[in-house]
Amino acid sequence: MADHATTYSDKFVYHEPGLQHQFEDMKQQEESVSIGMWMFLVQEIMFFGGLFTVYLVFRSRFPMAFATGSNHLNVVMGFVNTLVLIVSSLTMALTVYYAQRNNRNMQVIMIILTMIFGATFLGVKYVEYREKYEDGLVPVAGWNRRAKAENSEHASAALPIETRVGAQQEHKTEGEHVYNNPRGEFQWNEGHHLVDEALKEQAAHPDRHFLTDYEKVGYFSNGQVDDLKFQEKVRSFFWIYFAMTGLHALHMIVGLLLMGWLLLKAFKGTFSAEYYSPVEMSGLYWHFVDIVWIFLFPLLYLLGRHFIH
Amino acid sequence: MQNVDAISTDFIEPTKNYLNNGTTLKSWLLTKDHKRIAIMYLITVSLFFLAGGLYAATIRLELLTPESDLLNTQTYNKVFTTHGVLMIFFFLIPAIPAVLGNFFLPIMIGAKDLALPRINLLSLYIYWIAGLFAIWALLQGGVDTGWTFYAPYSTTFSNTYVMAVGLAVFINGFSSILTGLNFIVTVHTMRAPGMTWFRLPLFVWAHYAVALVMILGTPVIAITVLLLALERFAHIGIFDPAIGGDPILFQHMFWFYSHPAVYIMILPGMGVVSELISNFSRKKIFGYEFIAFSSIAIAVFGFLVWGHHMFVSGQSVYAGMVFSFLTMVVAVPSAIKMFNWTATLYKGSVSFDTPMLYALGFMGLFLIGGLTGLFLGSMGLVVHLTDTYFVVAHFHYVMVGGQVIAYLGGIHYWWPKMTGRMYSEFWGKISAMLVFVGFNLTFFPQFILGYMGMPRRYAAYPPEFQVLNIFSTAGASVLGIGLLLPVVYLTHSLIAGRRAGDNPWMLPGLEWRIPSPPPTENFDSTPVVTWEAYEFGEDSGLDLEEARRRDLVTVT
Amino acid sequence: MQYTSWVPIFPEQASTFAWQVDLLYFYLIAVSIAFSIPIVAAIFFFGLKYREREKYATPDELHDSIVLETTWSIIPFVVSMTIFLGGAYVYFEQYTPPTDAMEIYVVGKQWMWKMQHGTGQREINELHIPVGRKIKLTMTTEDVLHDFFVPAFRTKADVVPGRYTYLWFEATKPGKYHLFCAEYCGLNHSGMGGWVYVMEQKDFDNWLAGNTSGQTPVELGKDLFQNKLGCASCHAGGPQQRGAKLEGIYGKEVKLVGGQTVTADDQYIRNSILNPASQVVEGFQPIMPTFKGQVTDEQLNGLVAYIKSLSGVTGTTGGTTTSSPPATNTATNSASSLPSNSMTPRRADRGNSGPGSNPNAPASSNSNR
Repeated sequence: MADHATTYSDKFVYHEPGLQHQFEDMKQQEESVSIGMWMFLVQEIMFFGGLFTVYLVFRSRFPMAFATGSNHLNVVMGFVNTLVLIVSSLTMALTVYYAQRNNRNMQVIMIILTMIFGATFLGVKYVEYREKYEDGLVPVAGWNRRAKAENSEHASAALPIETRVGAQQEHKTEGEHVYNNPRGEFQWNEGHHLVDEALKEQAAHPDRHFLTDYEKVGYFSNGQVDDLKFQEKVRSFFWIYFAMTGLHALHMIVGLLLMGWLLLKAFKGTFSAEYYSPVEMSGLYWHFVDIVWIFLFPLLYLLGRHFIH
Repeated sequence: MQNVDAISTDFIEPTKNYLNNGTTLKSWLLTKDHKRIAIMYLITVSLFFLAGGLYAATIRLELLTPESDLLNTQTYNKVFTTHGVLMIFFFLIPAIPAVLGNFFLPIMIGAKDLALPRINLLSLYIYWIAGLFAIWALLQGGVDTGWTFYAPYSTTFSNTYVMAVGLAVFINGFSSILTGLNFIVTVHTMRAPGMTWFRLPLFVWAHYAVALVMILGTPVIAITVLLLALERFAHIGIFDPAIGGDPILFQHMFWFYSHPAVYIMILPGMGVVSELISNFSRKKIFGYEFIAFSSIAIAVFGFLVWGHHMFVSGQSVYAGMVFSFLTMVVAVPSAIKMFNWTATLYKGSVSFDTPMLYALGFMGLFLIGGLTGLFLGSMGLVVHLTDTYFVVAHFHYVMVGGQVIAYLGGIHYWWPKMTGRMYSEFWGKISAMLVFVGFNLTFFPQFILGYMGMPRRYAAYPPEFQVLNIFSTAGASVLGIGLLLPVVYLTHSLIAGRRAGDNPWMLPGLEWRIPSPPPTENFDSTPVVTWEAYEFGEDSGLDLEEARRRDLVTVT
Repeated sequence: MQYTSWVPIFPEQASTFAWQVDLLYFYLIAVSIAFSIPIVAAIFFFGLKYREREKYATPDELHDSIVLETTWSIIPFVVSMTIFLGGAYVYFEQYTPPTDAMEIYVVGKQWMWKMQHGTGQREINELHIPVGRKIKLTMTTEDVLHDFFVPAFRTKADVVPGRYTYLWFEATKPGKYHLFCAEYCGLNHSGMGGWVYVMEQKDFDNWLAGNTSGQTPVELGKDLFQNKLGCASCHAGGPQQRGAKLEGIYGKEVKLVGGQTVTADDQYIRNSILNPASQVVEGFQPIMPTFKGQVTDEQLNGLVAYIKSLSGVTGTTGGTTTSSPPATNTATNSASSLPSNSMTPRRADRGNSGPGSNPNAPASSNSNR
């Protein structure tokens, strides 16, 4: 008995290049792969959906904290990323187009362009994350930029937190604040005046609502506005932000790897008008990653944003 | 030359079948053959069942006495948690789909393999990795949060390996998702010519419904467990109320998957039972379309009732009412199945082989399990019964009395096909009866204990509950014997069992028209299906006279 | 509720809606029997009548029946709707606390229940309530999820950290009923129980006023120490106890964190109970909770008397004593000195690795009370 496994009966059957042994013909293979990819995307939607649900639940409960957190995201970079991804989807679609037309060179160019845009997206993301790191907005203790207390002009042991905020968000007129973050903690101290303002408005307009029921409990300790409790909620926002964009970025990296594989194959001339299903399926995945971002961007960056101060 | 229109009565094993087609370890570990993957799943799943069963035995031994004397409470808490995690995630969820589904779904639709064999293999690898991870976590010291991992105990207070076990569950989820994905694609695109949707065996319908649930539900537990691990590691503040989180949110997200998960566990079992009842009554199943659609209905409605695990958790009364109403609705398709199965026996030709005994056992036990589900869906009653042994009894009735018994029935039914050997019918019947009797003795007293007020997850309990607990443990020993016997006689059949031939019971399904054990590519050429499902009549192509003649000859 | 020799299958009905819950239960049992008997009978009957007579026989095909299918879809649906409606009605009543109820506050924590009456009376693991009055519990927890469950009342509710949940009942029969924690909460989940004492109004008033039993101070203190206040969970013997060993300390010099030394006299003991953080024994963590406001003076006296008795001192003199008698072994708290009531809820086995003990077993050196 031979050691190698035979998987066919001994009849000779012509099969198109790339046809897997379990399929009768190419059409069946393409159909299968297509349904398979769609099912995979469906489950990805459910996966991201869990995170979206968590975000929406907490957003609706603590709108003020989440809105202020949202205002500290870099909307310019987010917008750039959105454009980059949309264009990359275009180049991806063009890849499929050229594959269908047996145009190997254009395929390759389009894939390379898609990869460039994808890499740009990740690069911008890196810059964004780095900015958060500088600003003390990474929600893990010790993972922010540390600055020794003695270097700070505003060093004070009693004042635990001061934050340098992103360029476009600035109410203060005193010039640049400096860190006071020797342990690399998450920092936020803007809660107090916001809640105070809300309370004033509430007093002035008793018939309208300025704080949700959760906020009425969640920002206060012993009846007083508690900065640390407000900070807690903003920290949750940043956690959700990093979890969602991080998961998305992870999918982006996988997408780039997929593109790399596709590039190799396209370069070798594997795809043609008869056989371009892998390009199409990769395209589906890429478009999915793009669409997730289309939802992420407004929900995280735009909701409740103050563009004009 | 294989001809699916006339059933072979040969007892001669084909020289080349999937088992001996390549005998190196590499040919098994790198196989794309769905049947080999199914066998590897079978071995792994059985090991996990054994492990989970040992933990169960430990629980029952501890509960013989009111005090926590055999184990201290910390260990007991780890034991029941491990029992739950192993049984649910590593046995019940994969068992029938990954073993019997993987093996027989392609054959039943006339295909050479699943649509995506490498994804199938990946699914197995992921399952192994998750299992190893879980075992490592257990050896490190285990986890004591209960399989439900409720926050904030699991996020903040437990000193055990919550993240490790959580990650094992997370990884395992992807195995489940990939299996489900594969089944959906296969049923859509790989059906042989003539195999219309309504000629599909009900086993296939059940697995299609299960696959839907797997794909839609499992990612939610994945993200929930991920968030739980993050909460524990970095205190992100979504589940832990001390830092602004909401423990009820965890429950919602957890049960959003875990309720459909119980349907992942039972639907394949129902599919097996449909096969068994029909085939061992030698009659087409009564109400085929109703059973088919009821599987889909259970899958869909199963997503709408998760709140019935949270009636006393502090959710609003009105939400509770909505969930209770929907729970009643989801019970109806299961009732429809029970009635249809019973009606199938009417004017049939019922034989009481071992698989049929398991199927009938399923019907009786699932009846009780399902009805007690109504008890728990009725809000006024569930306030008293929730978190007591009543719930424990209920879910063991449906999961063990239902799923495990269906799994055993399926294994016994398809054993001759998978292995080419027949087991001892005598011992098969003995085991089936021991399992049925032992199971009832074990879990029926727990209904009473539950109504009495004995809460779940108690290492020690008030002495007035002892007598019933003793009954329960006594029953468990009988059940244990009944469950261990098949390991012995099934293994023995591999060595010394009578050769079964292609169609030992003369049944019309596609799987019985190919040799036992099947060749790697299943069919010599793609069958063209011209007969209806469960076609026992003249169109079936079964040569019954020949079979009767064959039976007069003793074959070794 | 006493331990009886027959197998009990039903808890007592002790609240106003207990009978409704039981009625639902019986209704469901009746429905279950009504569905099961025909199905099981049909299975047996069909299995017998239509058993295989000829091997591989092929029965005639039976046609499906839409009528049958519809019937057996509609009937179960209708029945399940009656179950739903009945259940919803009772649930609404169970979970809508009346406005004129007597309020009691409950806080669950690992692993005990702390109750506080509106009048200020505090209890641990026990709840005394009058019969015939509506009682509303406003509950929360200090740490993880727990669940306040009284089987005799047929009701329970989870306690959730960070918010209040509510439970109400009206007891109908005086007696002593189990209280269980019914949401897994960690190590001593099974020990987190207690009793609900339903009393006649006059007895309840009496109890509120502070007249408890006719116990001696030492008996009172011992009861509080071992059963009611949870002291034994940290101060009992064992390799991992968290609190200072109390046997034989009376009259001795005690070294505190911070270096100072004090004498363990009556005042010292009293202070340790009311303000433990002020004088932590060297080598121990300052984790003992204060019992200020939770013990009456009478109870405090009892505790001091008991702790003194652990050093062999039976008198009530407050001054220093001579050499202390040999401390009894760690089995001080074992069988012979336990109350004969075997229903005592088990104390937390915090971190102890040895097996738990049977209160009725003879004293062994390993017991962890």
